[in-house]
Amino acid sequence: MHDSYIFQFFQRMRIPLVVLISAYAIATVGFTLMPGVDDEGNPWRLSLFEAFYVVSYTGSTIGFGEVPYEFSAAQRMWTMVSIYLTVFAWLFSIGSIISLLQDPAFRSSLQRSRFRRAVRAIDRPFYLVCGHGDTGRLLTQALTDRHFPVVVIDSNRDKIDALSVEPLRAPVNAYCMDARLPDNLCEAGLRSRWCMGVLAVTSDSQANLKIAISGKLLNHRCSVHARADCKEIADNMRSFETDQVVSPIDEYVRRMYLAIENPSAFRLFHWLQSGPDARLPEVRQPPRGRWILCGFGALGKAAYEMLVKIGMEVTVIEADSRIPGLPADAIQGRGTQAETLHEANIESAVGLLATTGDDIDNLSILMTARALNDQLFFGVLENGLSSHALFRAARPDFIGQPSIVIAGAMLSRIQSPLIHSFMEQLIAHPKELAAGLLRRLQSWQQEAPPELFTLRISPRRAPAIATLIERGLKVPLSALMRHPAHPESTLPIEPLMLCRDAENVLLPDPATELASGDRLLVAAGTGVGHRLGRLVDNENTLSRAVTGQDIHPGWLWQRLFSKADLTKSP
Amino acid sequence: MNMSKVVFGFFVLLALTLNFGFFLGEIDNPDHHNVYELFAALVVGLIATVMKLGERSQMSAMLLASSLVVDLHLIAAALVWGIAVHVTDTGLTPAVMATIVSLSGGALLANLLSVVLLTMDTAGYSR
Repeated sequence: MHDSYIFQFFQRMRIPLVVLISAYAIATVGFTLMPGVDDEGNPWRLSLFEAFYVVSYTGSTIGFGEVPYEFSAAQRMWTMVSIYLTVFAWLFSIGSIISLLQDPAFRSSLQRSRFRRAVRAIDRPFYLVCGHGDTGRLLTQALTDRHFPVVVIDSNRDKIDALSVEPLRAPVNAYCMDARLPDNLCEAGLRSRWCMGVLAVTSDSQANLKIAISGKLLNHRCSVHARADCKEIADNMRSFETDQVVSPIDEYVRRMYLAIENPSAFRLFHWLQSGPDARLPEVRQPPRGRWILCGFGALGKAAYEMLVKIGMEVTVIEADSRIPGLPADAIQGRGTQAETLHEANIESAVGLLATTGDDIDNLSILMTARALNDQLFFGVLENGLSSHALFRAARPDFIGQPSIVIAGAMLSRIQSPLIHSFMEQLIAHPKELAAGLLRRLQSWQQEAPPELFTLRISPRRAPAIATLIERGLKVPLSALMRHPAHPESTLPIEPLMLCRDAENVLLPDPATELASGDRLLVAAGTGVGHRLGRLVDNENTLSRAVTGQDIHPGWLWQRLFSKADLTKSP
Repeated sequence: MNMSKVVFGFFVLLALTLNFGFFLGEIDNPDHHNVYELFAALVVGLIATVMKLGERSQMSAMLLASSLVVDLHLIAAALVWGIAVHVTDTGLTPAVMATIVSLSGGALLANLLSVVLLTMDTAGYSR
């Protein structure tokens, strides 16, 4: 039932209301029965109307006195009776209302229906974030910074309560409920036509799987982004076409791999894929040689396989010798003690990865190892964001932050669905391409990562470009990079990829002419995005950028300066 | 036997009988219609409404609606009475009385519907 709290209210108020009505009825009838005398000494009784009038102002403790005539003793006696009767009836009713309002069950149903109404009232694209841990908080922050309303659900009440005091730039509706139940997801707006995407980032992979299934089945138009901690669940999610499956282990290992094999691509990857607060990392080139790996959990195992695959020698330190797949020459120990590290020949190693599940252990490994050999390359896994200050202070060469990695991957995908294939292609190309692109992006001299846009050349999404193409004008890619007011200067805009007929052209030539149906991935400096938007929407601005003169949409102007003139211009 | 059902049925039925008692008699003769009976019908009608609040079945929605109609009619009748006697000094002329009684007649129909619905509900329940 949608307004269940109203029903709950009346159900609980039934007895107080009946008591109140009865008290008024008895008091009113009683007054009409009491004998009295009027001002001329004639016997007189109050009529029902007058009696109700007297009871009304007595019951509400206003008390106008004795009207219309002075009361007799019998009427005064009844006044006393009715005062006690009605005042106590009121106290009882008001007491019931107050106790009802404080009842946790009633309050939660009231809040729930408020939440439901708020979600239903959202009339612009919004995102549904399930799970408000470190990842969820980053996502909510970043999405609201882009002025998207966000609906947050989490089964932990404290996290939801904490959300209400955070300063955010767009409305956030949060409610404490179990995201695993499809009904709850529907209440949180999953089936709304404005729901752009569902982000399943709870710490429980099984729950994320359930959310992803519900999302795909209940609203096939919204995109589903889910976090999966293990391979089986990730495969399961992919099997029903979850739009994006982010596995923190894969992401971390991939970045580590890139850092070793293709540093420019790694820096670019990290800059673009780690949320709006990412800075271009100044990373020491990880050396080749023998590595020490502390901790052989899921991440440790994946990192081990990656390192061995690219031809590194790896010494594993792990406390639990029963882990399947542990290499035979693994050293048993915790890695936090100097003896164990000595045993692993730390003096001759080139790098160390601390990947245990405990942040303090990881830090301790790092500190101990640094005391023994400060030339090592230190990679460390940071499990929770709460000890981030400690990790910063310890200055490892490479920090793996699962929550930032997940949030960043999801955000860049939300910003532009093409980013994934762009990165894939960039990695597949020779290193110089990535290095060149990085140099060009760096030349804008800004710290924040470039904003990514996807342009679709169609009459709806880019009306100006479509119109100009229709009128026979050639619109080269470079037109988008020119400053509309000063065509000779260029804006910090870099086309990253052009998709035409299922073919992706990486870093397209600026002279490439745009055609209808193209999809374009563009990186733009902070604050330039809206200019690009105006260029794409406004024919006049665009034609000035393309031809250096205005296009005139009016009939007369079109007659006078027919399109032949425009096409002739340079 | 459920005590709350007894109380509920009692008030619904009492609202009907009091209403009928007031309605009975020549339509424009003030002697045939007692003001206390109208008052009682109104109070019992209000109580019956409150009893029906907060129920959630389809039947109870209809019951509540008919009860609200009863209240509306009887409050209108009481207002006409109060205004005619105390505000405008018209007194209980046959025309005023006829208005009051016909309003209570409308309430009677709604009350009757309430009882019929309640009976149907109970009959369906026992089957």
